[in-house]
Amino acid sequence: MSEAEHTRIITVARALDLVPGDRLHCLELIDCVDSNRRHVVGPLGIKIGRTPPADIVLLDSEVSRSHCFVTLQGDELVVSDLGSTNGTFVNGVRVEGTVPLPIGSILQIGKRSLQHECRTRAEIAESDELDRELQKASAYIRALLPPPTPDGPIRCDWAHVPCARLGGDAFGYGPLGDDLFVMYLIDVAGHGAGAAMLAVAVMSQLRQHTLPDTDMRSPAEVLTTLNHLYQMDDQADLYFTMWYGVYHARYRRLRFAAAGHHAAFLVPPDRSQAIAVGNRNVIIGAMPEATFSEATVDVPPGSSLYVFSDGVFEIVDKDGRQWSIADFERLILEPQVDEMGEPQRLLQGVHEAATPGPLDDDFSLVVAQFD
Amino acid sequence: MDMQFTDVGGVTKAVLGGRLDSFSVGEVETRFVASIVPKEQPAVVDLSDVSFIASLGIRMLIGTARALQRSNARFAMFGANDAVMEIIETTSLTEIIPVVGTEAEALAVVTG
Repeated sequence: MSEAEHTRIITVARALDLVPGDRLHCLELIDCVDSNRRHVVGPLGIKIGRTPPADIVLLDSEVSRSHCFVTLQGDELVVSDLGSTNGTFVNGVRVEGTVPLPIGSILQIGKRSLQHECRTRAEIAESDELDRELQKASAYIRALLPPPTPDGPIRCDWAHVPCARLGGDAFGYGPLGDDLFVMYLIDVAGHGAGAAMLAVAVMSQLRQHTLPDTDMRSPAEVLTTLNHLYQMDDQADLYFTMWYGVYHARYRRLRFAAAGHHAAFLVPPDRSQAIAVGNRNVIIGAMPEATFSEATVDVPPGSSLYVFSDGVFEIVDKDGRQWSIADFERLILEPQVDEMGEPQRLLQGVHEAATPGPLDDDFSLVVAQFD
Repeated sequence: MDMQFTDVGGVTKAVLGGRLDSFSVGEVETRFVASIVPKEQPAVVDLSDVSFIASLGIRMLIGTARALQRSNARFAMFGANDAVMEIIETTSLTEIIPVVGTEAEALAVVTG
C-alpha cells in the first residue's frame, strides 16, 4: 500500500467517527493500568464474573463466578445482577433487577469499579495510547520501590495500591552505613501525574542519599533540607507529608521525625499495644522558615514497625462511619494470619471494612520486623 | 459539599458543610478560591459542619491563605469538631492558618 493510500484510509475512518451515533459504549476499569482495561459492550452484552467464561474476568474474592450482566437496551446500557453473593452497585446503590447504567456512572463489583464511557473509535485509540504511557509511568514508579526483604535482622514487607493510575505515595528503606537502617514514606497531596512526579523526585534523592549538606542520619535535618528544596510555590502548589526514621541497631534506638504526617506504630512482640511513633512538624513545602524537630524511641527485640500513608485509614466503612487512625490501630492489633504477610492482612482488612469499590486515596503500608 | 459566602463587615465568611474529600475538592475548589481571594480582604471559614478534610482539602485551604497573604489579608478558621481538629493538628496546619473555637475569635484574629 502506498503512503498516499494509507493516509486516505485513516482520514476516512476519522470522518466516520465524527458521525453522531458512532460512539461505542465502553466499561473501563478505574483502578487498573493494564492496556486491556477497556471493554466495548456490543449487542450481545457482557457478562462479568470471577472466572471464565465471563467476558470480563475480575480476580477478586468478593466477585462471584457469574456476577452480573451488562447489555444494550436501545442505545442505553442496563445492568442485571446474576444472584451474586456480595451484590452489584451503580454509583453506590445496590442493583435490584435490571437498572440503567448511565454514561459516567460507576459500576462497583467487589473491590473493582468500572466506569461507563461512550467513545468514538478515534478516542479509544488515543485513550489506549495514553493508557500505555501511564502504564509505563506506573511501572517505573513501582520499580523504584524497594523489594521486600524476607531475611536479615530487619525484615520489610509492604503493600502499595494507588487509588488512581498514578499515585502520590512513595517509600523506601535500606542500610545507611554501619548499624544504621533508614525508612521513609512520602505522601504528596492528591494523586495523578503531578503528585507522582514530585514523589519520584523526592524518593530519588532519598534513595541516593544526595540531599545537599545534609546528615541523612538526622531526621530533622532531612526534613529541613526537603522543606527548603520543595516549596509549594516552586512545585505547582503541591506539598507533601512525610515520616522519616533511622534505626541504630547497636543501641536498638529509632530516631524519627514526621512532617505533617501521622504517627507510625511500634508493636512489641506480645502485641499488647501499638506505640505511636510520631511528632508534630509542619507539612513540607508550606513554610520556608519552618523548623523541624525529631524524637527517639527504644525498639524492643521482636518488635514490628508500621509506617503508612493516610489512605490506609481515611476510609468510610460500610456503616457510613469515617475511620480515624484509632480504627487502623485496632486492626493492627488483631491476630496475625498464618501464611499471610502483615501488609496483605491489613490491606484485606481495610478493604473488608470499607464501602465497596477502590479506596479513596493511595494505600501505602510498610512493615518492618526487627530481630 | 455545601458552601456559602457572606460579608461580615468587610470580612469574607465562608461556611463549609460535609466532607472535604478529594472528590468534593475538585468540585468546589475553583469557586472557593474565586469567592475569597479576588476580594483581597480578610476571610474566615466556618468548619462546624465539616466532617472530614482530606489532604487535597488542606491544600485548598493553605493555597487560599497564602494567596490572601500576598494581599496582606489574614485568613482564619473556626468551629472544627474533634475529628477534623485531629487532622488539622496532625498536619500542624495551625502553624500556617490560625484555627480558633468561635466566629468572634476568628474575626478578631483576622481584623486585629
